[in-house]
Amino acid sequence: MSTLDKAHTSSRPVPNPKRSLITRLHMGTGVVVGVIFAALAYYALKASLLTHTDGVADPLSPHDNNIVLLGTMFAWSIGFMAGIGAFIGPWRWMIGKDLTDEEILYLAGDGQGVKRYFKYCTDHKVVGIQYLVGVMTLLGVGGTMAMMIRTNLARPGGHFITATVYNSLVGLHGITMIIAMIIVATGPFGNYIMPIMIGAYDMAFPRLNALSWWVLFTAIPVLCSAWFLGGIPTGWTAYAPLSIQAGPGMNAFLATIIIFAVSTAVAGANITTTVIAMRTKGMKWNRVPIFVIGSTISVALAIPAFPTFMVSMIMTALDRTYNTGFFDANMGGSGWLYSNLFWIMGHPEVYVILIPGVAALMEIVPVFVRKPLFSYTAAVMGFAGIAGLSILVWAHHMYMAGWAPSLNGPFMVTTEMISIPTGLLFLVLIGTMWRGKPWMKLPMLSVFAFLWDFMIGGITGIYLSDVPADSYLHGSMFVTAHFHFTLMGAALTGAIGGLAYWYPKMTGRMLHERAGYISFWMVQIGFNVIFFGMFMAGAEGQPRRVVDYAALFRNSNLISTIGAYSVGIGMIILLWAVIHSWTKGKIAPMNPWGAKTLEWTVPYPVPLTNFDELPVITSDPYGYGKGK
Amino acid sequence: MADHNAEELAPTPGDRATRFFKRADVQQTTLFFILWTALFVVLGLFFYPKWMPTIMSVEMKSAEAIMIWFTVISAPVAAIVLAVATTAFMNRHRGDTPPPDGPAIRTNGPVVAVWTITSLLFALVAIVWGLTEMNAQAVAAGKDAKSAIVVEVTGSQWVWTFNYPAQGIETHELNLPVGVPVTFNVKSADVNHSFWPVQLGVKIDANAQVTTVIHSLPNKIGPIDVKCAELCGLYHAYMETTGEIQSASDFDAWVTAQGGHKA
Repeated sequence: MSTLDKAHTSSRPVPNPKRSLITRLHMGTGVVVGVIFAALAYYALKASLLTHTDGVADPLSPHDNNIVLLGTMFAWSIGFMAGIGAFIGPWRWMIGKDLTDEEILYLAGDGQGVKRYFKYCTDHKVVGIQYLVGVMTLLGVGGTMAMMIRTNLARPGGHFITATVYNSLVGLHGITMIIAMIIVATGPFGNYIMPIMIGAYDMAFPRLNALSWWVLFTAIPVLCSAWFLGGIPTGWTAYAPLSIQAGPGMNAFLATIIIFAVSTAVAGANITTTVIAMRTKGMKWNRVPIFVIGSTISVALAIPAFPTFMVSMIMTALDRTYNTGFFDANMGGSGWLYSNLFWIMGHPEVYVILIPGVAALMEIVPVFVRKPLFSYTAAVMGFAGIAGLSILVWAHHMYMAGWAPSLNGPFMVTTEMISIPTGLLFLVLIGTMWRGKPWMKLPMLSVFAFLWDFMIGGITGIYLSDVPADSYLHGSMFVTAHFHFTLMGAALTGAIGGLAYWYPKMTGRMLHERAGYISFWMVQIGFNVIFFGMFMAGAEGQPRRVVDYAALFRNSNLISTIGAYSVGIGMIILLWAVIHSWTKGKIAPMNPWGAKTLEWTVPYPVPLTNFDELPVITSDPYGYGKGK
Repeated sequence: MADHNAEELAPTPGDRATRFFKRADVQQTTLFFILWTALFVVLGLFFYPKWMPTIMSVEMKSAEAIMIWFTVISAPVAAIVLAVATTAFMNRHRGDTPPPDGPAIRTNGPVVAVWTITSLLFALVAIVWGLTEMNAQAVAAGKDAKSAIVVEVTGSQWVWTFNYPAQGIETHELNLPVGVPVTFNVKSADVNHSFWPVQLGVKIDANAQVTTVIHSLPNKIGPIDVKCAELCGLYHAYMETTGEIQSASDFDAWVTAQGGHKA
């Protein structure tokens, strides 16, 4: 920090001419070292576990095979991080030195152009762009899987893909989308925009910022390797004992989650610290932009949630390698223990996904309606209330598990209480729109879509939270439709709104408007068609995660598949718009929307340290409106 | 609705209301409010009964009632949100420059209070309804326990097996007498499954080494489907069977045909 501070007050030093090791490392060296580590681990573990009969090697037992594969995957991740230079800083600390000022400036990517996106770059703006590209890639992969699922389900008896592939698709679509959605807003906007919004030079821990992205990056090939290891049969919930019975592809799932949990823990610590410690002068808590509040609450919720995910995966891995039997009832363990650990993460996690999306929209509405945010306090209370209650509701996923039926009542009470803070979020949005004339630009469209989608998601959530109705609906397509309305209809819509809103600041260009509109309507109409069909299928009695279905569900599934193609095409148009506008879009003015938050006071390209002089804040950023 | 604009109001209450409801945007919002409420009421009353399978038990009736009536009750709340949004949409501003600033309404205490209390009441209705219904089902299950027919259900990859201990039969189809309470004792031979006799509207997971219990009171004669509602591996989709809710005499005949005896 102090170095960056110096960098712009004194004359800027030339990056280290000595060409130390740090300047020679990049993604390529990371991949090379990662592959070498992986290969070493693979052969070493295999050699140590192989037994021989009469000089001929016996095949590895499934347990030993799991050890080899997991070891290889972790070795890849660690090797990549070593190869890209993640450990140079900590190593220097250990031997009692630190990086030189020049090296710190080099790591910040000063004057390296496009190359810095492929390096261990500590600049939060570079990390933000890396996350944006990463998120879009993951959404693209997950979306392609969704299209394959829907294609297979277009007709009953469809055998476009086999049951093995189908089950893998269901699980991998789930986990890919969950990972993408967890980082969809806090990754790109939380990293790129948020530090500028609070008037900071950079994040509190710039090196951890780079670490969180590149660790996540190493998880992507691991997740993809599941395909080559026979897929995963468990869905993204990976319930035991099915996960223990599963083949080698399951290891890829476990390793991905463990690596991902490291990334989110690091990112969570970084974002919370930055917001608490690095707000500029005058930015009291009631002047912090609502997106910053939302992102902070979201990652603060992730900090306790994801370690239990990691623990549950480590325990599953131990069951699969050393037969520890934690989750295997036949060995004295309990599948319910797994379900509990999983949902203790899993329910806070959906709000980790939802809150930043809503918060982005709350940032957008005042700007486009030219009115102050209605009841900032209600917005904060809404987020905080959701976050607080969300850690007490996990067992509503287990009403029908048979685990502690006497707790169904209490969990139903806490779950339904969540409708109160959620209601506040709606109030803030419509209160801000009340008597306003919304400026119909792309970001504002998302707000309308959000209100409709989240309303449907919310109301259907109320029946699902009521035990007697859940006893019919649990495990059916109805649930799938419900959570897509909340995660895709609400959170992804919010993130797409955020993308349209902050795109000019992140790329210096305006997002292609016409393509944006076409995409918006195709996605939103298609989305509602898909999940209308899926509510129908669920109400008719079709279970989730089925490769095939009875003739009774023919119409509802066909409706869903037609909608899916509309969303697919709409998303491709959006992708085209994002890529096209990045280089060819209309040059954006510094503040195209006339907003009052700090990110719009800096030029594009945003200077390395964001501000020449840190701004002083005297009011909240919502001072729109006449009168009063 | 009337509380949305407390800061604009004239001194006397009668005047206030009249002035408030004469405003064009308020009238517009009211109109949309009525339309959206109607739409949700129709959605709830029409679609769920149309989509859901034949109701063949007390529990299924209760599930359907919750889906229908919660939609109807929440219709006005959803309609307020959507009506305000629709009104804003109708008054939208186009062009490349931002619209003029709107009124600087920072907050409105009464509105926030009324809104919060309304959602609290709404949550309470859902909670009380759910708890009452759960309690009724638990009481009925306890009371019926002695007269209930017992079925031992075993899920295994990927087949359901039903054992009727009192009748001494084991089958793969689930036939039950109408009007007689039934207790399902469910377990798994391998991974988790979820036992779902669809038209009975109940469901419980099948776990290894533990028995889970669910009750139902079938009240209509007709065919039923049994499905698995928990992903259980390769052929999860095909882990289904059928059965029938039968009259007492038909059931006895079926038991006899299966080689069993009257309980």
